[in-house]
Amino acid sequence: MGKANHMTFPGGVHPADGSDKALSADRLIQPYMPKQVAISMEQTIGGTCSLLVKPGDRVKAGQKIGEAKAFMAANIHASVDGRVLEVKNLNQNGRTVQVCVIQADDGPAEEAEALSYTTSLADISGWDRDGIIQKIQEGGLAGMGGAGFPAYKKYLTDKKIDTLLINGVECEPYLTCDYRSMLEYSYAIVNGVRLLWKAAGAERACICIEDNKPKAIERLREIVKEVKEPLEVVVLPTRYPQGGERQLIQAVMGREVPQGGLPADVGAIVSNIGSAKAAADMVLGDLPLIRRVVTVTGSVKNPGNFLVPIGTSVRELLELSGGVTAVQNRVILGGPMTGPCIASDWTPESGGELPFVSKTTSGVLVLPESRIVEQPCMRCEGCVRVCPAGLKPYQIDCAFMEEDYDLCEKLYASECIACGCCSYTCPAKRELSFRVRSARDMVKQRQRERAVKQ
Amino acid sequence: MGEKKTIIGPHLRTPLSTRSMMADVAIALTPALLGAIYFFGIRSLWMTLLSVAVCVASEYLWQKLLKKQITADDFSAVVTGMLIAFNMPVTVPYWIIIVADLFAILVVKQMFGGIGNNFVNPALMGRLLVMILWPGTLMQYVMPQTVGAGMDAVSTATVLSTMKSGTVGAYTYWQMFIGEMPGAIGETSKLLLLVGFGYMCYKGVVNVSSALTYIATVTVLTFVFSAEGMFAGDILTNLLGGGLIMGGCYMLTDYVFVSRRGKILYALVAGIITAAIRTFSLYPEGICFGILTANCLAGWMAMAYNRHVYGVSKKKA
Repeated sequence: MGKANHMTFPGGVHPADGSDKALSADRLIQPYMPKQVAISMEQTIGGTCSLLVKPGDRVKAGQKIGEAKAFMAANIHASVDGRVLEVKNLNQNGRTVQVCVIQADDGPAEEAEALSYTTSLADISGWDRDGIIQKIQEGGLAGMGGAGFPAYKKYLTDKKIDTLLINGVECEPYLTCDYRSMLEYSYAIVNGVRLLWKAAGAERACICIEDNKPKAIERLREIVKEVKEPLEVVVLPTRYPQGGERQLIQAVMGREVPQGGLPADVGAIVSNIGSAKAAADMVLGDLPLIRRVVTVTGSVKNPGNFLVPIGTSVRELLELSGGVTAVQNRVILGGPMTGPCIASDWTPESGGELPFVSKTTSGVLVLPESRIVEQPCMRCEGCVRVCPAGLKPYQIDCAFMEEDYDLCEKLYASECIACGCCSYTCPAKRELSFRVRSARDMVKQRQRERAVKQ
Repeated sequence: MGEKKTIIGPHLRTPLSTRSMMADVAIALTPALLGAIYFFGIRSLWMTLLSVAVCVASEYLWQKLLKKQITADDFSAVVTGMLIAFNMPVTVPYWIIIVADLFAILVVKQMFGGIGNNFVNPALMGRLLVMILWPGTLMQYVMPQTVGAGMDAVSTATVLSTMKSGTVGAYTYWQMFIGEMPGAIGETSKLLLLVGFGYMCYKGVVNVSSALTYIATVTVLTFVFSAEGMFAGDILTNLLGGGLIMGGCYMLTDYVFVSRRGKILYALVAGIITAAIRTFSLYPEGICFGILTANCLAGWMAMAYNRHVYGVSKKKA
């Protein structure tokens, strides 16, 4: 800790050589308007919203259709102009969730005129902390990096925040949505960072970018030069999982978020590049979070980056990018390291049900099928070397298989961040990440049960 | 267990596998095998092939009969087989090699749970068994065929046992380095072993620091506490005269035992015991015992060493 580990974090891997991101890194963001969207009332696990519309209702893009009730929830808005076709109950993450299907109006969508905050630095002196936080709460800003935590709650903290970290690391292989956004929405992002900096009441704001994105670094540095607020662009060496909130804080600030704590406990707030852009849209453009950039890449004919309304179907995205090119494939929602597999051997004809874009969907990735045989662990401790949380995954794996959950707890299975480095690096191809994650959930559940008994 | 399954996330995996790592070790041992053929004749090749075949076949049969996951094709048995043959003189009867192989694979490796669960290096244990059972046969070292033709039936003392008995060795350091000296077939040519070690370093499949620590410890200690008095040991003879390079580069570094934090301590323990045996006991080599003792401690070291867990304060941990 301290200065010794500055600009780095222990462990981590280099899962790719750069050819992965090159697939879609130079593809401009294309806007796309689907005929129909299906918006889930649970955009993140545990973030259920109550539906405000019924079938037959007319809705305008940006109209609130889901009211945040649960702790993990952020408001949900209609993402297109149209009519509510139906409300379906779908099984999602093992629970039944309401999904609002909206039929978009025919005819070309209104071309939004370029607003000044997207092309130049905006005057934000009229906005104070409370105003900004209220706007991002209303606008349904959820962490767009993956966890989807309602963003305003982070900014409501009463702890002293010294640094706002804007996560432009994008350490997951293949994904380029944040990279393209930094190049194409540069002014909106910088304006958003200034607003979030004000909302956080921080001493400084750092836009963190890995050194494999030199163009983005150059572009944002140019703009940041003109800014009066204490903004800086921080360049980090490329390593996965640097974009993990806790690892980013460790790399940039040399501090560790204490066990069970939040980034605010060490004076930090972390928000994603996409969230910064969305914050600018909400506050300066009066546009809630209804669209996001999604990278579609891997084994598809034309990889690309698309700006789509929330609720666009993944199937349409795959069609947009020319279709899947590998017959035996896995379709992954998000990046290859942490994204879940949503379909195997998918073809348009097989017609398997695919999910819809949510606020946290950063990419759709198609990879060729890969099958493995788990071999016995040979105790090479490769997993120990790469674990950024400092765990001993092979020992937790062993304890979990023996159902010795006390030992799992002693080995700090609860501190697993599910980055997947252990599975990535294991020469015996063991599903370490899966079992350590299961051990973590088991340990946490036992801890909760104990807490209730006392 | 055993059938191919679609991977659970993460969906990217390293191209390295147990098999590729073990195959790399086997490839690294190949130059030394060629050297053995050159110095001791074609029988070296037959010995090695037999030993590998017995190791792989016995592992396969054991796993097949007990309906365990078949891992006989992961090249670890190949490496064990090669190391066992490499540690024998060229005069050894074939059946002794078979005994050592079976003991190593079946008793030491499989009965303790197979790869990763053995508590000591199987190849060393196999060698130790036959060395204790038939010491005379295993001491039948001969001159390399490159030194004087027709002498291959005459047994001779190794460099280290010559030194132990106090006489001056008859081999130059260069001869020891390239392997022109009596000894076990695979361990004499330091040059070729180091070529293989370089390959493993290039491939990143060997723990260099523990290998170097071990070799340095033995060299320094035998120099300081030598039979001729303090600080009077023959550094190069200790380094090149026996199986130190072989043991340090290929046997000590077995993945099962080299843990992350413990590796230096592990190598030190092995080095101290090896040096002590070389200095005080009747055995000239001591490598076998040194590494085996350290092997036994590796499990404890892996458990005892606690990493700093992210976000957990030191006091609590």
